[in-house]
Amino acid sequence: MKKIDKREADSYFRIRTILITIYLLIGFTASFVVVFFAEELSEFSFNGMPFHYFMGAQGAILIFIILLFTNAIINDRIDKKFGLDQDQKE
Amino acid sequence: MDSQFLVSLLMILVTFGLYIGIAVYNMARQTSDFYVAGRNVPAVFNGMAIGADWMSAASFIGLAGTVMLLGYDGLAYIMGWTGGYLLLTFLLAPQLRKSGRYTVPEFIGDRYSSSTARLIAAVATIIISFTYSIGQLSGSGVVIGRLLEVHTAVGTIIGVVLIAFYSALGGMKGITWTQVAQYLVLIIAYLIPVIFMSLQLTNNPIPWMSYGQIVGELQQLDAQLGISEYVVPFTEATKWQFLALMFTLMAGTAGLPHVIVRFYTVSTMKAARWSGAWALLFIGLLYLSAPAYAAFSRFILMTQVAGSSIADLPAWTASWVNTGSLSVADTNTDGILQWEEIVISNDIVVMATPEIANLGIFVIGLMAAGAMAAALSTAGGLMIAISAALSQDIYYRSINPEATESQRLLVGRASIIIATVAAGLVALNPPGAITQIVAWAFALASGTFFPALILGVWWKRANGPGVIAGMLIGLSVTLTYIFAAKYGGFTILGIIDTGAGVFGAAAAIIAIIVVSLATKAPSKETQEEVMDLRYPEGMTYKDGEVWRTDPAEKKRPDH
Repeated sequence: MKKIDKREADSYFRIRTILITIYLLIGFTASFVVVFFAEELSEFSFNGMPFHYFMGAQGAILIFIILLFTNAIINDRIDKKFGLDQDQKE
Repeated sequence: MDSQFLVSLLMILVTFGLYIGIAVYNMARQTSDFYVAGRNVPAVFNGMAIGADWMSAASFIGLAGTVMLLGYDGLAYIMGWTGGYLLLTFLLAPQLRKSGRYTVPEFIGDRYSSSTARLIAAVATIIISFTYSIGQLSGSGVVIGRLLEVHTAVGTIIGVVLIAFYSALGGMKGITWTQVAQYLVLIIAYLIPVIFMSLQLTNNPIPWMSYGQIVGELQQLDAQLGISEYVVPFTEATKWQFLALMFTLMAGTAGLPHVIVRFYTVSTMKAARWSGAWALLFIGLLYLSAPAYAAFSRFILMTQVAGSSIADLPAWTASWVNTGSLSVADTNTDGILQWEEIVISNDIVVMATPEIANLGIFVIGLMAAGAMAAALSTAGGLMIAISAALSQDIYYRSINPEATESQRLLVGRASIIIATVAAGLVALNPPGAITQIVAWAFALASGTFFPALILGVWWKRANGPGVIAGMLIGLSVTLTYIFAAKYGGFTILGIIDTGAGVFGAAAAIIAIIVVSLATKAPSKETQEEVMDLRYPEGMTYKDGEVWRTDPAEKKRPDH
């Protein structure tokens, strides 16, 4: 165990919190906001169906999956930057 | 006994033989290299195992039928059950993993330093898992009922015997490779019919690209019949109900004890992130296909079944009418079956689809095997959660601390059998469609565990009295709202029983905050532990300072 600068540890926490907030906002928009404006969005059409239906049946799920993979990739990079790469210790 | 029965039974037996075979093979290997086992499972396969754990009879049997009958309004289930993984992965999984506790009642008891809180959490685990298992038993009733061409209730009784036997043996949980096999059987069984239907109807083998066209044709068919159109939003319930249901399912996902457990048994934080991402991809494959099922089945029913002479209905209708889940009465006695005269239960759509589309006995048998895998694996896991809560958290920690290993095992086994039979009795006459019953379990989880865990992890001031008040109030508000909405016709903003979680969660969050602030702050030690959860594994917070620790080093207690 060695002591590290608390500011460094806090900057890790801050980056993670900012990223998570962004991901959750995108996820919230893709689901709750789209549903809220479903009637208005039904004018447009995508992949052969009205846009609100597309978002519920396909769009939102795809966005959720992309968000989780983005998080995994970006978080691996952040860990590496902070020297927390767990694979090297295994 | 016809050939369909034999083929279906054979497919079920072969796939179950496969799961048991893999389990036995792995158990033999685990004794030799015990420490390596389970740690070298790549994240991709761990994701598949989580997928098999997650997808129950509600997803496999119930979902497509719900979307078919509710139209756009059924999509709340799809977005809710996938979106919950965002809350889980971003807000809870890393912190719960770092805390090093193995079960939800254990975490709540230690975090809030209160054995009362642990006891309430154990009781809530039992109520939630019990409700959830009613849906699974009801699902196995549909499959067995069709297989033996008996009433669904008789199928449920047979399911109860199977599940009690299966869970008392320990289920097939916890062995990752068995679950990988279950996922593969389940997803292949789900995708083959939908791909064939897509080919039949649109000449395009990719259902996700082709069903948009069918959705368009359904709109025209609905317009001709003058019924409310398939894609028009909020025809079955209000917009607020849609939003409330979606929230309930998302928050419930993040609070379901048997799902959370999967995330803290992986070897590293990195593995947890990747497993979660892969899991949602594999789960998403089924959820992306459910609306395609719904559209194709509805189209075939509207164009090929409706409009035919009542004396000349396809053979498959007779066997489903026998199970009591389909009614094709010619109510206006014109000799022709109209679309309005078909009354189909949500729960048989997926199982009946291969028959409706005439896909042959092997595909139908495969569907039966996939559905049984989904229902039995989830039910087994739920029963184990119930027995662990009863024998460990309630009996051993609160009633009889001197209990021996064999006494606890006996309590565990007995509780599995009692719980299965009790759930089976309720499932004989299911209080709702499978997806609806399962939604109540999610409502209860979002009214109790979701607030307790989120605040426990992110707010160090939350304390024991606060969480006790919060869980009790959340549980009562959710239960009261479910019953008042379902049986008393009481609703707020048109939100019905399945959306009850939004009120439960709000009440619980307010109660935890108010009561915590009104009572003494948690001990310095507890507050430090919560601060520590902010930092990744590899950093430890202590006395206002952060220390670098070896992330690979395990600090968890042995169990």
